[in-house]
Amino acid sequence: MRFLLALALAAPAALSAQTERDDYLAWLATAANSPFAAVAQQPIGAGLRLGPATADIPLAGLSEHRVIERGGAVSLEGPGGRALPRGRPVPLGRYTIAVAGAPGRSVLTVFGRGGERKRAQHYPHDESLVFLGTLAPPAKRTTVRVLAVDGVETEASEAGTVTVPVGGTRTRLRVLRIPTGDGEESELEIFFRDATNGEGTYPAGRFVALVPEAGGHYRLDFNRARNPFCAYSSAYPCPAPWRGNTIPAPVRAGERYLGGGLTAPPLEGEER
Amino acid sequence: MRALALCFLAALALEPPAPAGDWRAVLDLAGGELRFGVRLERAGQQWKGELCNGTRCQPLSSVRQVGDSLVLEIADYAATIAAARRGDSLSGVYRNVGNRGPRTIPFRASRGRWPADPAPDRFLGRWDANYLGDWGTSPRVFELRNGPGGLEGTIISNSGDYGHFAGRIEGDSFSLAHFDGSFVYLLTGRLAGDTLRGVFHAGLRTQTSWVAVRSTGRPHLTPPTEVTRADTTEPFRFAFPDLNGRMVTERDPRFRGKVVLVDVFGTWCPTCHDAAPALARLYDKYHDRGLEIVGLAYEVTGDSAADGRQLRRYRDKFGLRFPILLAGVNDTEAAATTLPQLRGFTAFPTTIFLGRDGRVRRVHAGFYGPATGAQHGRLVGEYEREIERLLRE
Repeated sequence: MRFLLALALAAPAALSAQTERDDYLAWLATAANSPFAAVAQQPIGAGLRLGPATADIPLAGLSEHRVIERGGAVSLEGPGGRALPRGRPVPLGRYTIAVAGAPGRSVLTVFGRGGERKRAQHYPHDESLVFLGTLAPPAKRTTVRVLAVDGVETEASEAGTVTVPVGGTRTRLRVLRIPTGDGEESELEIFFRDATNGEGTYPAGRFVALVPEAGGHYRLDFNRARNPFCAYSSAYPCPAPWRGNTIPAPVRAGERYLGGGLTAPPLEGEER
Repeated sequence: MRALALCFLAALALEPPAPAGDWRAVLDLAGGELRFGVRLERAGQQWKGELCNGTRCQPLSSVRQVGDSLVLEIADYAATIAAARRGDSLSGVYRNVGNRGPRTIPFRASRGRWPADPAPDRFLGRWDANYLGDWGTSPRVFELRNGPGGLEGTIISNSGDYGHFAGRIEGDSFSLAHFDGSFVYLLTGRLAGDTLRGVFHAGLRTQTSWVAVRSTGRPHLTPPTEVTRADTTEPFRFAFPDLNGRMVTERDPRFRGKVVLVDVFGTWCPTCHDAAPALARLYDKYHDRGLEIVGLAYEVTGDSAADGRQLRRYRDKFGLRFPILLAGVNDTEAAATTLPQLRGFTAFPTTIFLGRDGRVRRVHAGFYGPATGAQHGRLVGEYEREIERLLRE
């Protein structure tokens, strides 16, 4: 239940925070489905028209296409029509499209190819913000629908809580298990807010993964904190901050946010 | 002097090319090391290689050497292993695509083969396991045995097995690993008294605790045939293009009056790779007596040209002589939609047995691959008896 300062205790991580960050930055900078390149994200619902100025998603230079979902299977109709497998980026003219989300609640994201991609910015590594501890079981074993880091609604399960000592106070943070696509794989994620939000970091808060270690321990490394994709492109909806997950002290580690003019969105469950 | 120079030249010529040979490879997961083998050899001007779990190996799609770096590609899963070579060690990452960022796992290797590590009898046999998930327990069966590469086995769920696992033993602890370029599975456990306890690791950081006791012989899993059912009142209908783009349906003359096995599969599905050789043998054995097989493929890219290439490679790899149709993309919902007569479709592969009248007689979800040992033999035996019974109808 209690998190300890990690310095002496933590074993070397299987994937160092630095390697993970470098790989992620390369993905952000080059991938066709990098969130920096996103131009639109919409639920497919009863179908989406793409292309003309009057379409659901107007895309310059693209003739009319439709994206429809039947019985959970999503397909593209129009020139070069085809099936659209979930989770796999597919080229469409000068764009790339990708389907995500659960069947019946599928979401289409469109990525453009032009434009300059910004570079994500990070605080210098701070070893004092790496913790090793245990996960307290949840009060109630239940599932909850939340937006994942990519703005896509997902069925997550309550995995428990961790308690971290930051800035002289102990804060209990809620942990959700969020599926990552493959039936067997998932991530333990914490969406948290702290005193840097809006003052150096993204106003809505940041995600940080809880990394299992040997012996039933977990590593919480705030240097791995990353922005929800809505920080990279306004095409994405922003996840509502998770109730209770606010650290009253600044967490100057992990990803920063250099944009401005945004205020924090309402808490999970509150009216906007 | 000249003789010495010749000897020296001969020695140089005999020296194996730099990365050739066996490598003891490791993926460093958050909860432990997943061991597997990589075998590289020169093929003319090119390199080729294999990825091995114990003594079971599968070919890599390509091996490229760029300066001191090696890039091993596993095209079936759009995955690569990229590693820098320093003397007799490799260090790098395994990586494939992801929606929320790259799926990256540290990789390292050193020269040589993992030792064959047989397990004492107290570990061997069939274990009834329960995974302890966030929402409750989920049954699995572990089959552990000693093979030519030491401890080996597999994990079986309601819908089939997870392929061949190769393992090792250290005192009362064991670990079993399976890595095929896409699925990253590691089972670690410890024997205390008559109970095994441990963790199942999937990918870099998903960990699920489990407890297992010796199988009593009573069924622990829900038989797959109870998972998926089908409409048996009318002939089973399908209509999909073959690899030449020609539409093929159940009314095609080649199926008329025949016993037909419909194999719902995908080239991305390791269990389907296990089922393919068995289907090829069944076809060879019973085709002359009136058996037809048709493969309905649910593929990864949704792009018919790319999926077609992949399917041709699969067909040629397993020497499949029956038609393969491109049915859709790889999700169970797609299969359920395009085959509306199936109910509760959950698993790849699913094998549907049609009688000579074209109606469904049996549906088998999943497949017990050769890694399950006796289960595999029993299942293939059941398939044969079912086919013979249907041929006599």
